[in-house]
Amino acid sequence: MKKTLKWFFIVGLITLVGIQFIPADVNKQEVIFSSDIRNVYDVPDNVMNILETSCYDCHSNNTNYPWYSKVQPVRLLMDKHIREGKKELNFSEFGSYSERRKRNKIQSIGSQIEDGEMPLSSYLMIHDEAKISNSDKEVLAVFLNNLAKD
Amino acid sequence: MKTNQIKFYALAFAGSLFLASCGNSSNTENHNDMNHEHHEGMEHDHGSHQHSESNEREVSSNSGDLKGDLTSIMSSYFSLNESLVKDNASSAAKSSENLVEALKVFKAEGLTEKAQNEVNEILESATENAEHIAKNASEIDHQREHLVSLSIDIKDLIAVIGTSQKLYEDFCPMANNNEGAIWISNKEEISNPYMGSSMPKCGKVNRVIE
Repeated sequence: MKKTLKWFFIVGLITLVGIQFIPADVNKQEVIFSSDIRNVYDVPDNVMNILETSCYDCHSNNTNYPWYSKVQPVRLLMDKHIREGKKELNFSEFGSYSERRKRNKIQSIGSQIEDGEMPLSSYLMIHDEAKISNSDKEVLAVFLNNLAKD
Repeated sequence: MKTNQIKFYALAFAGSLFLASCGNSSNTENHNDMNHEHHEGMEHDHGSHQHSESNEREVSSNSGDLKGDLTSIMSSYFSLNESLVKDNASSAAKSSENLVEALKVFKAEGLTEKAQNEVNEILESATENAEHIAKNASEIDHQREHLVSLSIDIKDLIAVIGTSQKLYEDFCPMANNNEGAIWISNKEEISNPYMGSSMPKCGKVNRVIE
């Protein structure tokens, strides 16, 4: 019995070491794209701050990786989130969206934040600073509503 | 001493299993993603095949100057709306899956480059909206939110492609958090997909599309 446990432990350890060699995606292009949302609309600094702090890790071409992102399987989960996040909405490529898609996105950003669906609660658990305060939510709502009217 | 040792092994075992299973699950998810992409690519290939089938339908319905056959798109869209009228989110999700498929195989014909680009943008947006409705089988509010822009997509698509059947553009001022929203219907009577069973008759016919 004790021997079996030992084996499980060894196998587990080998697996844990082994998965460290799975190659990771790197979502870090430290330039501001010409298609970035700040180059598409007149985005006030305080709005831009909120977006960069709370959204850009998964919704842009530039992620701020925490130290534990170097550890698998953390990175695999993170990569998946970023891949899905960018597919849904990429602020770095906002300018390349059709007008129709821009309008949809602006609508969805507003409702997702208002309903507290975004930022994801799992992300907020480890990124306390990304939590959007009520006053910041208001700032975003005003900004997005103005865009929707244009 | 001995119990401590066993505890340690048990803990390590549990921990390593957890990590291993995490790793595995994200691996399979990766594979799924890849398969999915392949699948999408293949569907595009099949598109032309299915398209020829829908062409036959169009010919048999003997419709005039249509730029494509919206039949399967519209029937999925209508059944999506019917599900939402009945507050049935899971059946709405199913109809929306069919809608995604119908949108993917749809091909317009004889359009100018500008109109074709517009159709491509509409299809891209409509597909994205329909995918969201399909994915959120337990969140009817989220589904209805996407129905707002999906309905605009459908309306604009009809404007470019044309329709062989008489359609109605309906409007409900209370939908979309009282901002108002339209939907397309094939019946003159109001059947509101946004308010559901609480107010199924809320709204009016904005215009008739013929």
